[in-house]
This record gives sequence, C-alpha cells and structure tokens, in this order.
Amino acid sequence: MITKKIFLFYKRESKLFYSNIVDLFSNILFFFLSVFVFIFALGTDEQLLKTIGIGIIWSLLLLSSTLSLRKFYEEDFKIEILPIMHMGGMSYELIVFLKILSHFIFVQIPFLVSLPIVSIFFNLPTNEIYNLVLTFIIGSLILSCLGSISASMNLLNKTNFSIGSVIVLLFSIPLIIFSVGINNADNDFNSLLNLLIGIALIFLGVAPWSSAACIRLALNNK
Amino acid sequence: MFKFLINPSRFNKFADIIFKPLAVISSLILIVGLFLVYFSPLDYQQGLTVKIMYVHVPSAWLALLTYAIMTIYSIIGLAFKIPFSFVINKAIAPIGAVFTLLCLISGSMWGKPMWGTWWVWDARLTSVAILFIVYLLIIFLNHTFENRDVREKTTAIFILIGSINLPIIKFSVDWWNTLHQPASVSKLSSPSIDLSMLQPLLVMTLAFSLIGIITAILRIKAEILIRKKYL
Repeated sequence: MITKKIFLFYKRESKLFYSNIVDLFSNILFFFLSVFVFIFALGTDEQLLKTIGIGIIWSLLLLSSTLSLRKFYEEDFKIEILPIMHMGGMSYELIVFLKILSHFIFVQIPFLVSLPIVSIFFNLPTNEIYNLVLTFIIGSLILSCLGSISASMNLLNKTNFSIGSVIVLLFSIPLIIFSVGINNADNDFNSLLNLLIGIALIFLGVAPWSSAACIRLALNNK
Repeated sequence: MFKFLINPSRFNKFADIIFKPLAVISSLILIVGLFLVYFSPLDYQQGLTVKIMYVHVPSAWLALLTYAIMTIYSIIGLAFKIPFSFVINKAIAPIGAVFTLLCLISGSMWGKPMWGTWWVWDARLTSVAILFIVYLLIIFLNHTFENRDVREKTTAIFILIGSINLPIIKFSVDWWNTLHQPASVSKLSSPSIDLSMLQPLLVMTLAFSLIGIITAILRIKAEILIRKKYL
C-alpha cells in the first residue's frame, strides 16, 4: 500500500521535474559561468589552477545548489498538497524524507555529469576527479538535507530572503572541510570517507524531524 | 521550589527579591577578583600577558554555558509547550553572543604576543567563530518572522540543530592537533594549573556568571513586559 503511494509521489515529482527542466539547466549554466568567471579573475596559470581547483569547484557547487532552495517546498506549500498527502496516510517525516531523496535524484545528480567537464578546465589529475565525484555523491545528499531544513524554516518568511542560504552555508562547513581534505590525505582516505558518511547519516536523521516540525508549524499558522 | 524557572510571575517575584542582594554581591566579588588578578603571579614564559586568561577563559566557559542553557530551554519549550522558555531563549541569546565576542577578541589579543598572529585557522578558534555566527543567526531569526509562534519555535529548532557545535568546541583540542592548548582546569583528574592562578580564575568566573545572571534577569523582565504589551 505504502509502496504505491511512494511510487505515485515520485511519478508526480518526475512530472514536475520535466515541466521546469529549464530551471535546472540554468542552474548548471550558472555553475559553469561562475567557474569561468573565477578562472578569468585568477588568470590562466595552469599550476595555480591545479592546486586550488578542488576548493573552487566545491565552493561554487555549494553556492549554485543554494540557488534552487527556495522552491524546495514553496510550490507544494502554496497549492496545499502537503496536508492532502498527509491525509493520504503519509507522515510529514516520510514526506520530507522522500522529498530529500527526490531533490537528490532530480537536482543534484545532473550536477554530477557536469563535474568531469569542469575538472578538465582546471587540468585536475584523474584520481582527484574520482575523489571529487565520490565525495559529491555523499556531499550532495548532505546538501539536500540542509536545503530541506532551511527551506522549511523559511516557508513563512516574507522579509529576510538571504537567511536561508546563510543557514545552508553555515552547516556545510564540515562537509567542505572533509570533502576537500580527502585529496591531501593519502593514508587517511578511508577514515575521512567514513566521517563524511557519518555526517550524511546524522543529517539524514536530523533533517526529516526538524523539517516536519517546521512544516507543521507553517501549516498551523498560515 | 524551582518553579520560578518555568513560570513568568514566579520568576518576577523571585527576581525582585534576589536582584539587589545579587547586584551588591556580584560587584563585591568582581572587586575581589580584580584585586586577586592584580596580585596574581606572572608566568615565567608569558609574563604579564597571562592575565588575559582571567577574562578569556571565563567568557569562553560562559559562552558555552549560555548555549547549553538555551538548548535545554528549547527542548523544554518544544516538548512540554512552556512558552516562558522561548522568552528566556530570546533574552539570553545576545548575552551569549557578547561573551563569545569577548572570548574571540581577548583570545586574539593574547595570540598576537604569544603565537605571533591575531588569528590562525585552528580547530578551536574556528569552531568558536562558528558559535558566534550561530548566535548572530539566532538573533536574526528572532527578528525575522511576523508570527510570534512561528518565530519562537523556528528559533528553538535552529538552536537544537546548532547544538551539534558544542561537543565539537569542547573536544576540538583533543581530536585535532591544535595550536590552542588543551583543557587544563576541567580535566577529570587533577587540574594542571597552579593554585595561585586557579583561585583568581574561579573568582573571576563567579563574577562573570553573576554579571551574566543580572543582565539576564533585566532582559527577561523586559521581555515579559513586552509580551504583556506594557512596553
């Protein structure tokens, strides 16, 4: 019974995704253009780009994934689909969890395709590209959780628009530290990867609870 | 007995009784503490700059303690639906921010003569700077939403998520190799600080926490009056 509901949920999400796929493409375009701007600003010294490439790619990924955060729950909240789903027998925690997974699949995975292309611009070595893709698969799950937290907090916020991005940037500091540091630690690779997976599991535990609390609060005070 | 901690009118009565004696006692303790700091011995390596410790360490402890109190009150407020805890959260967040800022500024003033730099990207320093940003975000969230209920509960949820930072600050000197020294007073065995420096440090900590309590009482009373629409 619940599997059918989950299937219908993802069917709706994929329809929504295909209906505004241009938004996703412009996000990726923003990422590419910001990389270009960074390279133009720094100059085209190959050795310099090779040393700072990973850090720049990660921070720009972070910034461009905060662009699409405002519409994480806003559309569903506006047309009041969330209480209808809840009446259909899904708890808000489950809805948030499915929403995080769908954001991970439909928004973050397309960025994965663009990563090897961007790394060519920086002349990154092959093992660093491998590390980048591996850490991005785990790190984008954390980013989706953070996006869910900040978007649900700001559902009723009509004045202070930048605080959502600030919250995401604040909690993504450990993510940046470990996923960039994984390149410089040769023998610590597995321990850093385990730390990253641990952070992902912590946020997968925290995000559904806190987002569901915020959504309930927003629905009660609409 | 401890009902004044969760009941506004009980708190007002208790605060009215306690406030004047507390003010006298805390100013006396502060004067005694400053005298003890003045007559405390100099460090054989650091010389006079060791006296920054008597401001730096109490403010760092109180910054952490304030956040811990806010975390406990957020749990109480969200779980048992006691609105007074949100009043306290809003009232004491700027106090914690001021203590954190005092800790950062005095730390960098201590770091310049001892380490040769105002700031290093060390685990302890960075996590305390993040604590300061978290305090600022709590203050901003307290001024963001129009609906009071939403504002209070969202801030409480944010405080709970941000409390992940507390154990990181506490154990950062043990987990990573940092320039900042590890804990020397709050060790479970015997403290590795000399008694002649420990005494003024503890007196100054007491004075700082009493000043913090006095400020908190004033702010909480003002906040209660705002809730009652008197102010």
